[in-house]
Amino acid sequence: MSKHPITLTINGQEYNLYVADHHTLLQVMRDQLDLTEVKYGCGRGECGACSVLVDDEKEASGRKAIDSCLALAVTMDGKKITTSRGLGENGQLNSVQQAFVEESGIQCGFCTPGMVVKATSLLEKNPNATEEEIRFGLEGNICRCTGYVKIVDSIKKAQKVINKK
Amino acid sequence: MPSSRILPEFELLLPESVAEAVKMLKKHKADATIMAGGTDVIVSGTQGFITPYVISLSKIKGIDTVKFSKTGGLRIGAMATLQKVADDKDVQKMYPALFKSAAINGTPQIRNMGTVVGNVLRASPSGDCACALLAIGAKIVFEGPRGKREVSIDDFFIDYKKTARKVDELAVEIKVPAPKKGEVSAFNRITRTTLDLSKINAAVSLVVEKGVCKSARIAMGAVAPKTIRLTDTEKLLKGQKITGSILEAIVASVVGQISPIDDVRSTADYRNQVSPVLLRRTIEEAIA
Repeated sequence: MSKHPITLTINGQEYNLYVADHHTLLQVMRDQLDLTEVKYGCGRGECGACSVLVDDEKEASGRKAIDSCLALAVTMDGKKITTSRGLGENGQLNSVQQAFVEESGIQCGFCTPGMVVKATSLLEKNPNATEEEIRFGLEGNICRCTGYVKIVDSIKKAQKVINKK
Repeated sequence: MPSSRILPEFELLLPESVAEAVKMLKKHKADATIMAGGTDVIVSGTQGFITPYVISLSKIKGIDTVKFSKTGGLRIGAMATLQKVADDKDVQKMYPALFKSAAINGTPQIRNMGTVVGNVLRASPSGDCACALLAIGAKIVFEGPRGKREVSIDDFFIDYKKTARKVDELAVEIKVPAPKKGEVSAFNRITRTTLDLSKINAAVSLVVEKGVCKSARIAMGAVAPKTIRLTDTEKLLKGQKITGSILEAIVASVVGQISPIDDVRSTADYRNQVSPVLLRRTIEEAIA
């Protein structure tokens, strides 16, 4: 089996790894690093449960959301990655996560880690997003419980909190 | 049965330059798959379709650019993501069909990974950027062991997932000419949900002067084994004022030029009924 040595920085922690060429970033995070907050939903980029943020200096916010099931771990060598676990600072939830709790944007919880990651990225890119833009931005994240209303409400609440800061 | 959760094994090659990638292609030929964003390669991989070698372009610097100049037109690098093309101000202003085909492709996460060049090179009959670029007109620039070669998109799609790319060639960029005076374009598609592949897509690029259509390029996808041009319809439009009666003739001309099939996304019947309507709306949108 062909393998490559890589370095990933996930939620601020550096990991030096030896990964199989055909393993995805999602597989490595869940099976090698026990970062099980990143969920396996569909494995083909449709549900967004495995969404993570990857650093990209060309983005205004410095990072962008991708599906970790569609990225080979080896091609992520040297990248800084943030999962839902790393969104907040000092053990605190970030504004999006806090709003999901307060507005009941969570039911079964399976989509939530991907949802809060994407929502955070959405507000970083467009702090004044309209409801339509929020819904458009969530097109890659499927929730089978809430009907999305509470999720959109949560993001609007987070938006108010962030814009007040 | 391959597991749909785990990719089959392959050897990943990571060239750091186009020349190095070409060398690898020369060695492995059809045993190698070229991977840009990976959003298609990985999905087909989980379905068991993968080659022994995968050549990732992720380490090649300088091929993710989107650049426009009046003389050179638009140049889209092999690693330029769908989102990057959709965010580009020149693309938004001058190439509405291309903009839309990139901006609504897949999901936001997929647009951050997948590339416009990959969408064309994969040559799926339902490719949205492929449809838009066939209508606008473009050239695909290849590098191979015999040097550089440019292929017009008109000659690129040969049959179902079959293209004019030689097995040892790497598509490094797509060139789109600067819009002519009076050139307008539009793109539309029909899907069940936004992230679905198109049941039908249509793109038009028209040069209109004082209400008269001087020239037309019309492309449709998912209605034939490859993305096609509707040349009979183009001839109907040429030299005409785009009025109600011309639009009726256009609508009537579509079914004879397409050969849709029944598949998981739609039926031949539906595609035959809806394609003319989608094309009419796309033309109306372009000239609006």
